[in-house]
Amino acid sequence: MATEIKSDRLKTDEMIINMGPQHPATHGVLRLILKLDGEIVRHVEPVLGHLHRAQEWQGQNRTWFQYQALIDRVDYLSGMFTSWALARASEHVDGTEVPERAEYLRVLASELNRISSHLLWLGTYLIDLGALYGFPFYPFREREKILTFLEEISGQRMMFNYIRIGGVQRDPKADWFKRVEAFTKEFPERVNEYEAIVTENPIFLDRTTGVGVLPKSLAMEYGVTGPSLRASGINYDLRRFKPYSVYDKLKFDVITFDKDGDTRDRYLARVREMRQSNEIIKQVIDMIPQGDIMAKTKKQNAGLRVKAGEGFAAVESPRGVLGCYVVSNGSDKPYRFRWRNPSFSNLSVLPPLLIDRPIADVMAIFGSLDIILPDVDR
Amino acid sequence: MTTETSQGKPAENPPTTGPFGQFLKDHGINSSPLPASSGVETLEVDSKDLTAALRLLRNSAEVALDFLVTVSGVDSPDTFDSVYHLWSYSNKNELVIKVRIAKATVKADYLPEVPSVAPIWQAANWHERETFDLVGIRYLGHPYLRRILNPWDWEGHPLRRDYRQPVDALNDKSPGSFR
Repeated sequence: MATEIKSDRLKTDEMIINMGPQHPATHGVLRLILKLDGEIVRHVEPVLGHLHRAQEWQGQNRTWFQYQALIDRVDYLSGMFTSWALARASEHVDGTEVPERAEYLRVLASELNRISSHLLWLGTYLIDLGALYGFPFYPFREREKILTFLEEISGQRMMFNYIRIGGVQRDPKADWFKRVEAFTKEFPERVNEYEAIVTENPIFLDRTTGVGVLPKSLAMEYGVTGPSLRASGINYDLRRFKPYSVYDKLKFDVITFDKDGDTRDRYLARVREMRQSNEIIKQVIDMIPQGDIMAKTKKQNAGLRVKAGEGFAAVESPRGVLGCYVVSNGSDKPYRFRWRNPSFSNLSVLPPLLIDRPIADVMAIFGSLDIILPDVDR
Repeated sequence: MTTETSQGKPAENPPTTGPFGQFLKDHGINSSPLPASSGVETLEVDSKDLTAALRLLRNSAEVALDFLVTVSGVDSPDTFDSVYHLWSYSNKNELVIKVRIAKATVKADYLPEVPSVAPIWQAANWHERETFDLVGIRYLGHPYLRRILNPWDWEGHPLRRDYRQPVDALNDKSPGSFR
């Protein structure tokens, strides 16, 4: 912390600095207007919208089938979850029963996607903290394998469009499961490797311990969700709290911490979540039943319709509660799509976390919240 | 009475008052039930009662709807709806609250007005700014109601059904029409 200078002869002015929108550590284009008193941040105003692609407007002006393909782009690191939220909300409105195998495949693909998203976060967060040496490429090694798995089942490396209204797009081959299983066996050892480098690293501890403490009350006031919320000691994971899909049949515990979380706790929460997702994947591979992968009533072409009505459904994405509010009037196009993106709500808690912190902590705190800017701006 | 936005399709059963509607009634706040939104109780609240209702639902220990998931705006055929999805961090309660402003009561060139809950609930702050920006609902008493996703000088509210895109700045080379 900076020492306060007590002298009436030394007059200092506050300085306004624009951090971004082209700042390399903002994972997209976020502009922060910072008011600085020396090195201490006194006021923050995030300016959003540089990546606004009018996704909700497009929802009203595309057919259901077209919009399904578009929506992966909202959060490009975890496209499975946006598709899943859309599918769940539409199935709620429609009353579609999803075959059990499809539900298992959704869980399997999404948990793989969750690991890949956290891996990318881990690599880039270390860059945010200044670790510009080789470490960031270690997580990318495993992420590459996961993206190859997902590419095999969906045809795309990031914009999967795999989860569809009524089921999933295609059934993986038998040996795909075997290869994923082999990966899950070696993966915990890989996480040990990252942890050996990072978790007790003195520089990492100095940069993160006690930095950006997010009290429970503040997190709840701002609607923060996901690992950032659980690191602050609130036991809130939709997969356990309101089990959807087949999560109630799977064994896992919610990862929580017993105090107000700082930046390091949020790091630990994500690392443990990767191990947990790995265990979930193992269970799913053991339990997956044979059967259909798509509800028979749902066409996968321009004739896709959803009954009139409205509904809200949410999934636990790597960043938190990803909700989707659908209003349908039964025509070929949705009447209204409203997205509740975890990054949007999580980012809104940034100003109170940054006030009275040195400017060097800005990126350490921002990065620890795991914000994806396309997810904020839609 | 028509349901939601399904155009002119009547409700199958008239909705009945649910537990949260009863709870609000016990505390002197009137609400009228709407057809359930995929199984979740949905209430229409008058705009003048909104702040009191949300404060009550959030602070009462038995209900504890303390998680404001989202504030959405919907441009329905006859009304502008401001929709609040309330969840809880500690129990499984869910509630949808709607404030509906009839289009007939909104004067030309004016925006429909709904009281802001941002002064009592920070989570609403950005969601209301977004709804103002995209759907054009003015939240009275909001601490900082300016556009959040569109540029500050954008004209119109893109998620209105009658919205027409302004001159296409990318493809129209005429300097006079460049925004």
